[in-house]
Amino acid sequence: MTGTRIDLFEAYWPRSPRQAQIRPLAARLDSLNGKTVAQLWDYVFRGDEVFLALEEGLKQRYPDIKWVSWKEFGPTHGSDEHEVLASLAQKFRKLGVDAAISGMGC
Amino acid sequence: MQLAAAASIGQGMPNLSVALVPGHTGLQSKEVLRKNILEVTTDRVIGNLTTAPATAAIEKEPGARDIVVAGTLDEVNEYFIVNELSDGLPIVPPTKDRVDAFLRYTDRKADEVLGILLPDQRAATIWSIAVNGVMAGCRPEYMPVLVALIEAMADPYYGVEHSGNTPGGETLILLNGPITQELGFNYTQGVMRDGFQANTTIGRFWRLYLRNIAGFLPHKNDKATYGNNYRVVVPENEGVVKKIGWAPNSTDFGYEAGANTVTISRFTGGNHISSVSGSSPQEMMPYLAHAMVQQHNWQFLFTVGNECGGTLRPLLFLSPILAETFAAAGWTKKDIRRALWEMARVPAHHMERINREWTQKPSWNLELEVRMGRMPRVYFESTDPNRMVPIVWDPEDYMIVVTGDLGRNSAYIFAHNGVLGYPTAKEIRLPKQWQALRGAKAAGASQTAPQSIKTTKGGRKNGATS
Repeated sequence: MTGTRIDLFEAYWPRSPRQAQIRPLAARLDSLNGKTVAQLWDYVFRGDEVFLALEEGLKQRYPDIKWVSWKEFGPTHGSDEHEVLASLAQKFRKLGVDAAISGMGC
Repeated sequence: MQLAAAASIGQGMPNLSVALVPGHTGLQSKEVLRKNILEVTTDRVIGNLTTAPATAAIEKEPGARDIVVAGTLDEVNEYFIVNELSDGLPIVPPTKDRVDAFLRYTDRKADEVLGILLPDQRAATIWSIAVNGVMAGCRPEYMPVLVALIEAMADPYYGVEHSGNTPGGETLILLNGPITQELGFNYTQGVMRDGFQANTTIGRFWRLYLRNIAGFLPHKNDKATYGNNYRVVVPENEGVVKKIGWAPNSTDFGYEAGANTVTISRFTGGNHISSVSGSSPQEMMPYLAHAMVQQHNWQFLFTVGNECGGTLRPLLFLSPILAETFAAAGWTKKDIRRALWEMARVPAHHMERINREWTQKPSWNLELEVRMGRMPRVYFESTDPNRMVPIVWDPEDYMIVVTGDLGRNSAYIFAHNGVLGYPTAKEIRLPKQWQALRGAKAAGASQTAPQSIKTTKGGRKNGATS
């Protein structure tokens, strides 16, 4: 290999730093009894049926749990998603929401 | 679960709680789905709502201008592949000299931020465009095109955050303006093939940028069931368009004819429509309209309902001689769009069945959508389930571009990904020193090129008009 030139390269990182900082999650609840839970749905993967079953399962454990249906908020995925998501904080306050379940992914 | 875990990092919540539904909801009977929710998911939901998650931390990463590897070409490439910074093909090492050469082709500051790209929440900087352009094998003079592309990628109208969704649609980059010829893009025969540096490397750049800055990596944020490879850039043949008196695609997005522009849109599929025969529009349109319908089925999700309704934007490529035949009969793109809207239709019950029953979307029907004012009246002009309804809301929803082989009577139709990659155009802004930079490059090339090889500005000269 005598006489062969080997080029060396110093290569930059091709990414840029993430802009997101760690965000604290909402405080968890001691119990769901008497609490209001919002349902957020992206209108895919049978979320309407999933939420019905969840209501049934949670009602057995927490008889006084209250729900705000996904119908109240509109689809969280699609043409109006930015508007829907932007409206959530205000709607949660207005409706007295204590916790939220968001689905469905796949 | 993988997607939720990957996406939550970019949102600053890597400890976000997720509850699992066993299996896939789409393949379970009502009874099995209910059983899974009651026996598995319910407990996890309760745990997520009542138990504080572990403290979160985000992994430390290099800085924007850090040298992350020094070594031979093989060593650099190995580092980029192992650290998921490459698409699997060899990359050109992004070194200082090469990155600086790209930066000379823009008047914008290297640290300027064009937007923050989801899902990774990274800043789309001029610097990162140059680095990824080098890696893709682009020439420095492509930089103005690359910048325009990332401006489009960062436009919320486009919706880059949807680039990793299930259907795996891939972006198509359309190019308009004299930059096409100046940089040596192919815009005639084999326009969608690789083999032409400008078309191919800019297409590759797009995918590298989606990986490295937006964060779409397979098995993480990119959840395409099958996916597609990146597409090469497709320019419109503006010589033919001008000759027949039509308007280029750029004018449909508000730009003057002759402007240098990029237009991006995501398409889930497409097909060659071979041998479009006939001497008049009346003879050609039935075949084209039929083919248009045939390319779409689940994409009717983007036609109907309040989820994404009215966002389907199919794209039709016409080869130059097809366009010339339409033009000879006095037809424009507008006339073809109108004819497609009138002729490319499906029975109403078929559109409803696909969306409601086959793909298990929420209950709805066209009558309700029209009565609620969420769809145009044309979708419910009678109660006849066999009434024919258009696949797009408005004739202008069809995009038409003249490109491809000069002498073939074929078309190409792309099925669109709706709001999840909506057509977005940006102007390509050339630097003040463009002519000087180009002149210097041409002079340099003529001094160094071997005598046996002919060179032109920007590489191979392709796609001269007829």
